[in-house]
Amino acid sequence: MLSELLMIVVGGLKMGAIYSLTAIGIVVIHKATRTVNFAHGAFVLCGAYVTYGIVEVLQFGWWAAFVLASLAGGLLAAVVELGILRPIRQADSFAVITATIFIGIGISDIYRLLQNTEILAVRSMIRGAPLFIGDAMITREQIAVVGGAMAVALIGVALFAYAKFGRGMRAMASNPRGAVLCGYSSDAMNALAWFVGGAMAGVAGSFAAPSTGVTAELSVAMVTAGFAAAVIGGFDSLRGALLGGLILGVCETLAAGYVSSAMKNAVSFLLIFIILLWRPQGLFPEAKIRHV
Amino acid sequence: MSRTGALRVFAPSLFVFALSIAGLLLGSYWQYVLALSISAAVIGTALAMIVSYARCITIATGAMLAIGAYGAALPVVRLDVPFLVALLFATALGGLAGLILAVPGVRFRSHNLAMVTFVFQAVVIIVLRQSKGLTGGAEGLPIPAPVVFGFRFSSDADFLLLCGFLSALVILPLIVLLEGALGKNLRAVAANESAARAFGINVNRHLIAAFVWSSAVIACAGAIMAPRYRIIDPDSYGILASILALAYPIVGGMGSPWGGLVGGAVLRALPEVLRPLADYLELMFCILVVATIIFFPGGFGSFVTGTFRRKPTKLETSAGPEPRRAVHDFISDMNILGRREVRPPQDRSRSTPILRISGVTKSYGALRAVSHVSFDVTAQTIHGLMGPNGAGKTTLFNIVSGLNASDEGQVLFDGTPLDDVPVESRIKLGMSRTFQHAAVFDKLSCVDNVLIGLGLNDIWQASVRSVHMAMHSQRARAERKAAMAALDAVGLAHRARDGAGSLSLGDQRRLEIARAIVSCPRIILLDEPVSGVSVEEAAGLRELLLRINRELGTGMVVIEHNISFLVSLCNRISVMSDGRIIAEGDPDVVVNDALVRRAYFGEREISA
Repeated sequence: MLSELLMIVVGGLKMGAIYSLTAIGIVVIHKATRTVNFAHGAFVLCGAYVTYGIVEVLQFGWWAAFVLASLAGGLLAAVVELGILRPIRQADSFAVITATIFIGIGISDIYRLLQNTEILAVRSMIRGAPLFIGDAMITREQIAVVGGAMAVALIGVALFAYAKFGRGMRAMASNPRGAVLCGYSSDAMNALAWFVGGAMAGVAGSFAAPSTGVTAELSVAMVTAGFAAAVIGGFDSLRGALLGGLILGVCETLAAGYVSSAMKNAVSFLLIFIILLWRPQGLFPEAKIRHV
Repeated sequence: MSRTGALRVFAPSLFVFALSIAGLLLGSYWQYVLALSISAAVIGTALAMIVSYARCITIATGAMLAIGAYGAALPVVRLDVPFLVALLFATALGGLAGLILAVPGVRFRSHNLAMVTFVFQAVVIIVLRQSKGLTGGAEGLPIPAPVVFGFRFSSDADFLLLCGFLSALVILPLIVLLEGALGKNLRAVAANESAARAFGINVNRHLIAAFVWSSAVIACAGAIMAPRYRIIDPDSYGILASILALAYPIVGGMGSPWGGLVGGAVLRALPEVLRPLADYLELMFCILVVATIIFFPGGFGSFVTGTFRRKPTKLETSAGPEPRRAVHDFISDMNILGRREVRPPQDRSRSTPILRISGVTKSYGALRAVSHVSFDVTAQTIHGLMGPNGAGKTTLFNIVSGLNASDEGQVLFDGTPLDDVPVESRIKLGMSRTFQHAAVFDKLSCVDNVLIGLGLNDIWQASVRSVHMAMHSQRARAERKAAMAALDAVGLAHRARDGAGSLSLGDQRRLEIARAIVSCPRIILLDEPVSGVSVEEAAGLRELLLRINRELGTGMVVIEHNISFLVSLCNRISVMSDGRIIAEGDPDVVVNDALVRRAYFGEREISA
């Protein structure tokens, strides 16, 4: 009984860590460029597809997959920002949000045209005998995904919080005009933020590929989960998004294990709804200091 | 005028019905395509209300279509209810669904509102798929051809006519609302929520109404079309359907209901016309939408009207202040409207204040923006408010007009405290204002801006007034005449039909004044009415304000940095600094006050 619960929770943490990575990318982009990116799932799909190419087609190692998937996701995001969103950013958020919605659908559709199959399977990262804690069986893959995704997520959080470019992005976020006057190039900072966010989505795609496979549906599924996680975390908090992803993952597997698989699909929507209505600032809002 | 007004309202319905009749010449397959197109035109028009007018993103269209389709099909299939009754039921069900979506949804804007609609979409489809016993689940639900008064609409031609007729009928009320006061109010909400609220528009109720109307019409479109599919299943109403529908008004054009209508009709027919390219259609669709957003931000409709619209000639734009009609004319036009009888000034005793501000205090964290401010304004007073930037003048205005709440103190209007009077109701008491940063509703014409200034904007009034406007009734004409009189009074009559966003800053300020005076308020709060206005125009505005004050008995509070303007306009001036009133009295006395000079010019000037 307890071991079953433990297995369910660990399974949830695995997907949850992937959601966290996705959500952190969404939050990085939102914090730095005030853009809500509905195309984020497409970047995850791109990372997953590249992973399939490296691991299954070219038979290279996983390290190459991680590096190239993050590069691909990041470059795709930077191209979207520079080529499409930069010219319309002057207009209102309405134009930008709708544009990202259609960019997301468009990219998934390009994938569908390139690869007209139901699902592409990707082998798991680590093989080997599972570990046992009491009766609970935990696969090495689960440990690798949770550990790896969390490590990447923490690196992202740390970069944003401490590195030089993180400072620039935070400056852009709080006062774009002021940041430009201080010598930051807004175009370059925006593109960089999109690159970082997209790269994290790409890595999320790598981690997700073995468990979800590569399908066009991955795009909508991941953007939904990423949003739910970001909303749980308060949408502007990186740490909140990290925890939000884990919470979402565990809630999903709990719902699947104890209620029904339809409930699993509904969990992210219900969480978005409940959190928005009950605590729109999220469970872990960024401490806001008002300067007067 | 009257004929074009009626044409405006009926044209879309006539167009849709004419389309279905023209379709009788086509082959049966194209009749089916045309029915799809007409249905999408209805959806596009309904989405225009939410997307083009209120500028909200909704991804719940598929869910609303599904609610309509199942809402009509289930009573027909399971209970043998007549088709038309089921159609009405489905439409009402759609409206109810819109209400359920919007009541929690409109607490949010932009992406969060979009997320709520997305959640709604997903949950509806999950529920439909799961309740297999009722809906048949993913296997689908077969639907018989519609039967109306014993006639079975089973052929494509028959169905096309039915679809065209019902569609023409269902978009008519929608167009009345969009072209009328409700549509203008929604545009005002999208342009500037604070200004919209200050003129009596309850933003959330308007957005809820938009969602209810639009959802009801979308559900109706879904219900009409469902029998033609023969079998319906939840997944054909999924997220993708919602997103594709979102493109209708965006591509078609956001400037009028026609954008959504034509956008829907054309975009829905494209996949059928371009069958050979079927694989690439979705991608082309996305590229089309993104390209539209980048290159034709208002959609193709705005591009077309922009090309053909009359451009104001040089002469018109550079024309200075026009010779104004007497304010008397403006006042007598107000009498025609019969809204508020003009109160001769001698009726009111000089001492009763209309507005009494007592001990008002407001803090932001450690900053005291407004600190124990008190003063009275009577019907005869024009009360000036001056002080350095950051003194708390605008914050005080926002408290008086209800946009901000005060921490302490009270604002009394005609002796009654305003604590529990929401900002939207204050215009009806007789309080209006202008804004420091010109807050005209840029997508509306000047005369429409002033019409909103009448303050007859609660949701019910707006709906009724929409009908009046559509019928061009006497009341609508009187309102328009009043608005034109107010525009004339500020010298903008010649720009009445131009978009407010195309005016110069000085003209926008004058437009704001026209909007503030048209309701004949008892008190007007003017926030920097002449900043950015030329010297001659400022003199003209002063004349206008003085006469309104004298002849209508309208009290005024004026914030202004132009001290000579303020001194020549006001009969009393308060000076604020650091949230407190540091001097008050006759204009000439106050501007020579030592404290005031120190606040304004700094320490050294005193000795000079």
